[in-house]
Amino acid sequence: MESEVANARAQALALARTRHTRRRRLNYLIHAILILTCFLLAVPVLYALLVATMTNIQFYGQPGRLLPGNDLWNNIAVTFERGLGQQILNTVFVALVVVVAKTVTSLLAGLAFVYFRFPGKWFLFFFVLLTLLMPTEIIIVPLFKIVSDLQWGDTFLALTVPFFASATGAFLFRQHFSNIPTELAEAAQLDGASPLRFLWAVLVPLSWNVIGAMAVIQFIYMWNQYLWPIIIMTSPDKQVVQVGVRQLMAVGAQTDFGPVMAGAIIATLPSLIVFVALQEQFMNGFALTREK
Amino acid sequence: MSLDTQAILWSLFFGAIFGALITAYVYGRHQRSIITGAGVGAVVGALSGQILMLPLRHCTFAYDPEVVAEAGTRFTPEFLFGIGVVLISSLILLAPVWVWVSQGGRLFNPEVGRTERFGRSPLPYLFLLPTLIILVFFLYWPMIRVVLMSLETSFLGLNARFVCVDNYLRLMNDSRYIHSFTVTFGITIAIVIIGMSIALFISVLASQKIRGANIYRTLLIWPYALSPVIAGLIFLMMFNPQVGIVNQVLYTLFGIRPRWFSDAALAPWVIILTSIWNNLGFNVLFYIAGLQSVPDELLEAAAIDGANAIQRFFRITFPLLSPYTFFLLITNVTYAFYGIFGAVDTLTQGGPRGATSVLIYQLYEDAFEYTNKTGSAAAQSLILFLLVAGLTIIQFRYVERRVTYGE
Amino acid sequence: MLSRSKLVGLLLVVALVIPFAVTTAQDDTIEIVFSHAFGDENRQQLVADVIAAYEAEHPNVQVTAISNPSYRDTLNGAILAAQQGNAPHIVQVFEVGTQLALDSGIFIPVSSVTDAEQLADLDDVIAPVRNYYTVGDDIWSLPWNSSNPILYYNRDIFEAAGLDPDNPPSTYNEVLATCDVLMEQADALGLQGCIGWNMHSWFVEQWVAEQGALLANNNNGRTARATDVMLDSGAMMNIFNWWKELADNGYYIYTGALEDWNGSDALFTGQQVAMHITSTADLVNINEAAVEAGFQMDTGLLPIPDSAERHGVVVGGASIWLTADHPQEELEAAVDFMIFLGNTQNSVNWHKGTGYFPIRYSSIDQLEAEGWFDQNPFFRTAFDQLTNTVEGYATSGALLGNFLEVRTIIEEAAQSVIDSGVDPLEALTEADARADESLAAYNEAVMGE
Repeated sequence: MESEVANARAQALALARTRHTRRRRLNYLIHAILILTCFLLAVPVLYALLVATMTNIQFYGQPGRLLPGNDLWNNIAVTFERGLGQQILNTVFVALVVVVAKTVTSLLAGLAFVYFRFPGKWFLFFFVLLTLLMPTEIIIVPLFKIVSDLQWGDTFLALTVPFFASATGAFLFRQHFSNIPTELAEAAQLDGASPLRFLWAVLVPLSWNVIGAMAVIQFIYMWNQYLWPIIIMTSPDKQVVQVGVRQLMAVGAQTDFGPVMAGAIIATLPSLIVFVALQEQFMNGFALTREK
Repeated sequence: MSLDTQAILWSLFFGAIFGALITAYVYGRHQRSIITGAGVGAVVGALSGQILMLPLRHCTFAYDPEVVAEAGTRFTPEFLFGIGVVLISSLILLAPVWVWVSQGGRLFNPEVGRTERFGRSPLPYLFLLPTLIILVFFLYWPMIRVVLMSLETSFLGLNARFVCVDNYLRLMNDSRYIHSFTVTFGITIAIVIIGMSIALFISVLASQKIRGANIYRTLLIWPYALSPVIAGLIFLMMFNPQVGIVNQVLYTLFGIRPRWFSDAALAPWVIILTSIWNNLGFNVLFYIAGLQSVPDELLEAAAIDGANAIQRFFRITFPLLSPYTFFLLITNVTYAFYGIFGAVDTLTQGGPRGATSVLIYQLYEDAFEYTNKTGSAAAQSLILFLLVAGLTIIQFRYVERRVTYGE
Repeated sequence: MLSRSKLVGLLLVVALVIPFAVTTAQDDTIEIVFSHAFGDENRQQLVADVIAAYEAEHPNVQVTAISNPSYRDTLNGAILAAQQGNAPHIVQVFEVGTQLALDSGIFIPVSSVTDAEQLADLDDVIAPVRNYYTVGDDIWSLPWNSSNPILYYNRDIFEAAGLDPDNPPSTYNEVLATCDVLMEQADALGLQGCIGWNMHSWFVEQWVAEQGALLANNNNGRTARATDVMLDSGAMMNIFNWWKELADNGYYIYTGALEDWNGSDALFTGQQVAMHITSTADLVNINEAAVEAGFQMDTGLLPIPDSAERHGVVVGGASIWLTADHPQEELEAAVDFMIFLGNTQNSVNWHKGTGYFPIRYSSIDQLEAEGWFDQNPFFRTAFDQLTNTVEGYATSGALLGNFLEVRTIIEEAAQSVIDSGVDPLEALTEADARADESLAAYNEAVMGE
């Protein structure tokens, strides 16, 4: 009897051990695949970093060079000579303006949609929602005409004002506000307070996460803008960073990949930092828009 | 009866017939009177059909003896196209009617009054004003202009002249435009299927209980922070046929130097690869989050029932992930239709010979590289709009039914 | 909390105020914007030097140069900017953009602003070049950079292969024969191909002109608006058949991208090909790169079909245009600068610094006097090609409003022959139909019927 128990236990232990070893082997395999994937994903950017240090001769020479060159500072200097620094500042400015303005309009829209009852509410909500189906790309031809007729061509107005409001933003805050427990809002004991005061003192403090989420998404969206700026902006010193980097490519008697890659990496750093540091917020922002 | 009146009657007729038929069916399915449905549908359909017919000036139904003689039938391409326009136009008012009927007499399911703490006042309109002004002026108004512009030809915006639906008919007969459709769908399907499969596979591995899972996640998602333009520039350099690292390796190993950008069979794959690389992080981010929301107990219970890892994945994990898959499907399709512009513009400029000329790129070229194609570009915008809006709505309707929301 | 709200408030103010606070400088300086297509450091520096010299002489004028990635972008950008009401004053337009520039209505003739003295000064501009841009009695634009394609070859490789480095091939068959020799020893010479030029319609246009053939009806659109593009002509077939033969033998290579001037130069300076055809305008840049890479280069005439008589090249290149809708004083300052840019000394410097032709008789005299061509025989080749050109409609180049699209069509036809093995006749027949259709649509839109 006892020996049977001991036997069974021994068997169980052995089984567990093989399972454990198998599990460990599997884990090694998983690590191996993941490391390989991470490496493959990094190759393009690592190679771009390498090329950013090369002169043309080093890059175009045969056979291909896999060691860093000695021209990094010069390549960086070239990108700045061509105005990349100014373009980065422009883009930061444009992105911040849009982020702030859109947050304000969206907060107000959310407030109206959630905390008010008014005739035409559902119609207006539908009216706002429908614009989700109209991305800028679709209307770019007339938008160019409209913005030009306003004499906004080649000004920051063209890059910012059309993006001051969006269905996504209004929808995001509407979702968030309707998820805030009523009790919590009431606990603030602000019955009788004006709507704006309510927004400012109660809702905003409860919404920093959502505001942050939207800010991250909008910042990256604005940072990556390309199609609209190439069309509407003409002066290089007012241009945005993506177009600036693209235009580094079309220079010279040879495609100077050194400066292009240096520019590409410089132009990526801000969005990379924002994205990696705030990945949770970024995802939450998207998650909120699709919550039922 | 004048020819103009005839044209208007044709449009009323088709709108009414279409509205009556479908609405009668919808009424019938919801236990309402078919006759009433047909009546309501006929009236609404006929009226709604006029929304797009008015800017068209009913021109598609105008009777031109020469054109009819040449086509040998009253049902010229213009006429048939006109029917299509009436049907789409009639949907604008018919769709709300159908929703209204199928939801038992209301358009929305309002969450009544729970949160509406402020009484009636003009304030909400004031709060909505900034949003509405921007949306009306920079989205709705351009949308209307697109419709009008698509019915004209012009040179640099001058000499505008109304050409009915010629721009559309020309596009339908333009082999390059048709080709662009094929290219767009091919690239989209590849990006969606390959990209999302890889992302799911990697996410499953990365969300195992292993050491360093958080580090892996960050190392997997960061390429998304690169814009399509910059991703394109980097891949342009890597795939340079003469000195790019890809061909250096291929030449050393196999003695070949594929001509990535001039071979029509290869160029789309460079675009696809760039896009997948660029988007993998986004997909992985959401799949990992999705996988974390799958309850462990469910999987353990299944394991006790004897399901192996693969069975557990397909029977439990994958269905529970469907809301994430659905969300990613929409974002990936949207990327493939619009976001891809930056990559195409840097890598191939639509070449070689249109092999990567996706719809959005062709639209851009016609709108801004050539001086006399604004009308065509506007028509292309509307086609693209209908396509993406249609896909989005179909996705919602179809997937909404099958998706398991794990909430 | 407080600091947060303060921060938000501050950002809010910034967001709402700054976009509207766009200020315009109000002083006496006349600002002139000059939009050109040169992105490389060398030419940008040359332009900057000219501007600095001009501003030193005219302290009240400020000239801002904007460089664009390509000729196409420069013209498109100017037209878009003009639609917004802020066109650059001076725009560099390539010769194939001439008809479009005229049709666009955004430009005015330079001669409508010049005074008598300036007009007289322009008589010094080489006649064929000046005539190109004269329509009726109006001088629409001033030539700035004129060039034509020449053969570049690597003397060291020629010697190593046992070829005579002083005798480069000058006809299609000679190129094939030279390539036979070179490619037999490709591995020893480290060659990937024998000859390269970038896949650009410009070369095709030049070869059509060399054969004395027309690209469009109505005498290349010179006697009346062109209505037919002739892409399936015998002249075109000669070019495409030869091109295809080179490619089929593995002799011709290119980077795979269309209009990739720079990448194509890199093939030559990287010694992956022994011969290269490109604009004389790249002479200085390519020679510098060759010196850096440690080989000796030389130049020869553009190879042409054996059956053809050498008619010469299309006179042209790019010129600078004046946009309308500016105050008179800005127009006058702009024209003054345009003439300064092409004056005798600047024309000489421009030629020496780039390889573009000197565009004035006086600058040629000065160069001859200095013995420049004797010391730098490279520079002679293209210049001889220009001066030996038979004047006529063929070598005037075609005026086509949709020339940009025709170029794309020609390039795509070439790509289909070179990369996908399509039969030249088939490719050109299809291209011809497309080009005609596109031209009809363009003409219809411009005329408004």
